[in-house]
Amino acid sequence: MNEKSRDPLDLALDALPRDVQPDRDLWAGIRTQIEVSPSASFPAASRAAARPWMRLAAGFLLVVASSFTTYLLVQQSAQEQVQQARQSAATQLQQAPSLPAMPVSFGGHEELGKGYLQAREALDAEFKRQVEMLPPVTRAKLERNLADLRRAASEISATLAEHPSNPLLQELLLSTYQSELALLGSVGEVTASTLNQPSRETRL
Amino acid sequence: MISGTTDPAAGTVISADRSPLSDAALVTAARGGDMRAFERLYRLHVGRVLGLCLRMTRRRDIAEDCVQQTFVRAWRNLGAFEGRSAFGTWLHRIAVNEVLTYARNHGTRVEANDADEPVEEISEGTGELDVAEVVDVERALATLPEGARHVVVLQAVYGYSHEEVADMLGIAVGTCKAQLHRGRRLLRERMGMKELES
Repeated sequence: MNEKSRDPLDLALDALPRDVQPDRDLWAGIRTQIEVSPSASFPAASRAAARPWMRLAAGFLLVVASSFTTYLLVQQSAQEQVQQARQSAATQLQQAPSLPAMPVSFGGHEELGKGYLQAREALDAEFKRQVEMLPPVTRAKLERNLADLRRAASEISATLAEHPSNPLLQELLLSTYQSELALLGSVGEVTASTLNQPSRETRL
Repeated sequence: MISGTTDPAAGTVISADRSPLSDAALVTAARGGDMRAFERLYRLHVGRVLGLCLRMTRRRDIAEDCVQQTFVRAWRNLGAFEGRSAFGTWLHRIAVNEVLTYARNHGTRVEANDADEPVEEISEGTGELDVAEVVDVERALATLPEGARHVVVLQAVYGYSHEEVADMLGIAVGTCKAQLHRGRRLLRERMGMKELES
């Protein structure tokens, strides 16, 4: 159907803008309210791990991941300084190549330390073992949450590869890894509470 | 007007209206408690949510209150969002609920005889019509009785199906169809348009 044969009322309604921008920024008011609200965390991830070794392992990995990000930010800052030095002093030019290249992503396994990966794999193996004991609905929910987190981490990591100097993406990726580790570490408590209450479906 | 981002360092890469990250990735990060991801979602969706609220309430102050509450409620319930619908659709459902709750609590029901009230002029519009014509459409829309206006806004402007609109407004599908028919007839009358022959 061409434009001429269309109902003029439909044409008029189609012409209305769908988006209307606020006169003032509403985010500040929203942030004030949500800062005092319960966190919108993954339900299972908000619980502490029941098994001490899993809690310790998750904590260790968080420290490693945080340190890695700090390293990246420091490297990035150093690179920027070198860039400035390049422009201002020719003698400092020679120092620039000695700096390691900024990794385009720390989502890829090759960018993360071997120890980190081994510990993460151990947590992952324990997660897989524990979810086997859970009722199907609970298990599906945990696995879906984990898949969501890994999909998000993969997408953020890929985007970070395209925009390696974006600190927001770096922080988002780190927080997504933290959520993943917290979820892996929390499965013990979910399993324990479910096994203690066999007649009730665990609410996540 | 909204700014591109509150993080100047990120602004060159992630603008308010073109984020390289999908809603799903941002929702996942926000569900993990990351407020910056949620702010990004806010900046991506606030325009459409405000447009919806403004046309339903006809008043900018009320609409902005509803928008704020919509995002606060969305944050609190992110854990329950399972991705079965688009995040924007989920937000719109919350927004419609906020508008209806506000109307129930504050008695802001507006009937057709309120046509003399000043109408919030929304913006310049898009498409084939010029600015004056778009303002005429907005004015005619704003004079519709509340029930018909809500259905016309959701169905004819924002493109939701009868079933979705009925579900959002808590009415029967038949009622939704009747309200749409009534709303369109009144719009034609008020805009001096003839009924299109089928």
